[in-house]
Amino acid sequence: MTRKLISYLLLVPTFLIIGLFIYYPAVLTFQKSVYRVSPFGNRNIFVGLGNFKTLFTSQSYIQEMWTTLLFVAVTITVGLTISLLFSLLLNEKVPGIGIFRTIVFSPYAISPAIAGMLWSFLLNPVVGYVSYVLLNLFGIQSHWMTTYPAALIAVMVATVWQNLGFNIIFFLSGLQGIPKSYYEAATIDGAGAIKKFFKITLPLLSPITFYLAIMNITFTMFTVFGVIDIMTQGGPGNKTTTLIYRLYRDGFIYFRTGMASAESVILIVIMAIVTFVYFRFVQRKVHYR
Amino acid sequence: MWRKVLLVGMVMTLAASLLVAAPVTIRFWHAMNGPLGQMVQKLVNEFNQTHPNIVVKADYAGSYSETLSKTIAAVKGGNPPDIVQIYDIGTQMMIDSGIIIPLQKFIDEDKTFDVNTLIPQARGYYTANGKLYSLPFNSSNPVIYYNKTLFKKAGLDPNNPPTTWSQFKEACKMLTIKNSKGNTVQYGFTSGVIGWFFEQYMAVQNALMFNNENGRVSRATKAIFDDPAGLRIFNFWNDLIQSGVMINAGPGWDNANGIFASQKAAMLLDSTSDVGMMLKQGKEGHFEVGVMALPHPNGVPYGGVIIGGASLWMINTHNTQREQAAWEFIKWLESPKQQVQWSKGTGYFPINKNALTRIMHEGFYAEHPQYLTTVFQLLMSNVTPATRGGIAGPFPQIRATVEKALSKMFNHEMTPSQALKWAQDQANQELQEYNSLYQ
Repeated sequence: MTRKLISYLLLVPTFLIIGLFIYYPAVLTFQKSVYRVSPFGNRNIFVGLGNFKTLFTSQSYIQEMWTTLLFVAVTITVGLTISLLFSLLLNEKVPGIGIFRTIVFSPYAISPAIAGMLWSFLLNPVVGYVSYVLLNLFGIQSHWMTTYPAALIAVMVATVWQNLGFNIIFFLSGLQGIPKSYYEAATIDGAGAIKKFFKITLPLLSPITFYLAIMNITFTMFTVFGVIDIMTQGGPGNKTTTLIYRLYRDGFIYFRTGMASAESVILIVIMAIVTFVYFRFVQRKVHYR
Repeated sequence: MWRKVLLVGMVMTLAASLLVAAPVTIRFWHAMNGPLGQMVQKLVNEFNQTHPNIVVKADYAGSYSETLSKTIAAVKGGNPPDIVQIYDIGTQMMIDSGIIIPLQKFIDEDKTFDVNTLIPQARGYYTANGKLYSLPFNSSNPVIYYNKTLFKKAGLDPNNPPTTWSQFKEACKMLTIKNSKGNTVQYGFTSGVIGWFFEQYMAVQNALMFNNENGRVSRATKAIFDDPAGLRIFNFWNDLIQSGVMINAGPGWDNANGIFASQKAAMLLDSTSDVGMMLKQGKEGHFEVGVMALPHPNGVPYGGVIIGGASLWMINTHNTQREQAAWEFIKWLESPKQQVQWSKGTGYFPINKNALTRIMHEGFYAEHPQYLTTVFQLLMSNVTPATRGGIAGPFPQIRATVEKALSKMFNHEMTPSQALKWAQDQANQELQEYNSLYQ
């Protein structure tokens, strides 16, 4: 009995902190989402579901939802595929592999703002290296940040590049966890490299892939606005505005607290659905050893 | 017994007198980063040294919107600063905030301060409903920087830059160079997609952004920029880009600056606050930089430009002593000596007439004519409701909406007239949403 009491007591600080910094703000977000709030919060008008109605009837918000879906789907598929390929290469035993690993991992240590700056320098329509090379080798004049779909591709590339390091580290540790004996057995049975990859490596990596997919969805849906802000500011027009970038602008640039809260609530619901579906249906296909 | 009472009394009087003599501490939040921030700190230090009874604590609070955002949070938390630097388009939000004291109150009370020493274009922007709410600190307006060296190469007279739109377009054409494969290697003109420039071009044509005299006599309720003046701007801008004499540098300022600095574009629309940087870039890149006023459309009467930048607001702390100290500090920053120092150290022009005269007599403008253009253009502007600039609650949003409309037009999603109408409709919705809070 006392043991139980003590364990509960020990949990109190954690719950206090979670309650104060996560649940209390979340409750406030739900509350604010049904109000129209003035920038300084001195005026509040109850609008019921009005904010949600405005959002769902606004063409731009619907468009941003599709953009987000496309953005998340492409960056995750491409990102995870490239990361897996890189980690297979980095798993080889060659001299100086540590240096290569460090180089490949380094983008993750760069802040989104710096990454955005870097890419916008590279893709500057006139003085950027990428544009320069394209112009001189192929005679293409590219307008990366000001035309669609080039702008969306540019932001996706930057995002994939930024998440590369994180994904590779996890894939690498997954790869190193696969016992060599499996491959040896497969070799004896006459399996080729491709067969080994699909029959051994990929299934045994599935828990890591599952984890990374969830993490990447969370990253791209909830944190990728630094890169967008620096590179395109959601443009041209509205074409690279994702839901989280819209939320950032409504909350911190336009000071529409009520609307931004409603958008948060929508994001919470979307994330809940994604997580539920993922754990319910996708996790079954994950092999744990 | 009596001795004890006397002693206690003496100690208390001493403590009280110490309290009175103790300096008043006020907090000042600004949005000036890097060298600009150092300049602010230098001024603050000087003020603190010369005013032993006041201590100003200055803090960099981030970008303009971050500063506003932090101020809002501090107000909600009950611990706001005494003075805060807020950008031009935050003016209506600050007026509506219910937390500020209009500086008009101190201007009326303090006979040692003559508000007429501040240039009228600067006063005009921060005046609404007949009250001067805040005092300008860092002020700018838009100009076109041009590469005199490239002008000469193209056979244009670098000392006679274009003054009308048709001359300007002609110059753009002459400055655009294509290589043998048909790719453009040098553009006539570049600029970021920045809504501020649209507002400025409305003022150049003496046209209003909002009803109720640009929101100056009472709250703006309707956007009215979908008019011939607005359409002229959209058409002109679109024409320059589609005809290939201008390169769209995308959002923000940095890309356009980079293109101009690398001499890939001969002219750049930018803020006067960058004049120092531009001259430095010219020196490093071995080309001569000129500054010209915004050319205006042929046959349209000239209005002028709007002052941009940020101003100083006083927060109501319900503490007369602190408010008085804050006023002392603001007043000091606005005075000639400090304005000369600030202007020379930054590239923002002085808003005090006496400071301007002093800099002129020192020969600074004769040596650096580029600096003269930056302030000359503003002084040449008529003070009308159009050139005083619009004020509206959701201005940050409206500015972004205009930027979106421009991009949609550049990408052939909309025609110029469709884009302009779309922007105005959006702006009206935004106005309605904001204004409903104050009905």
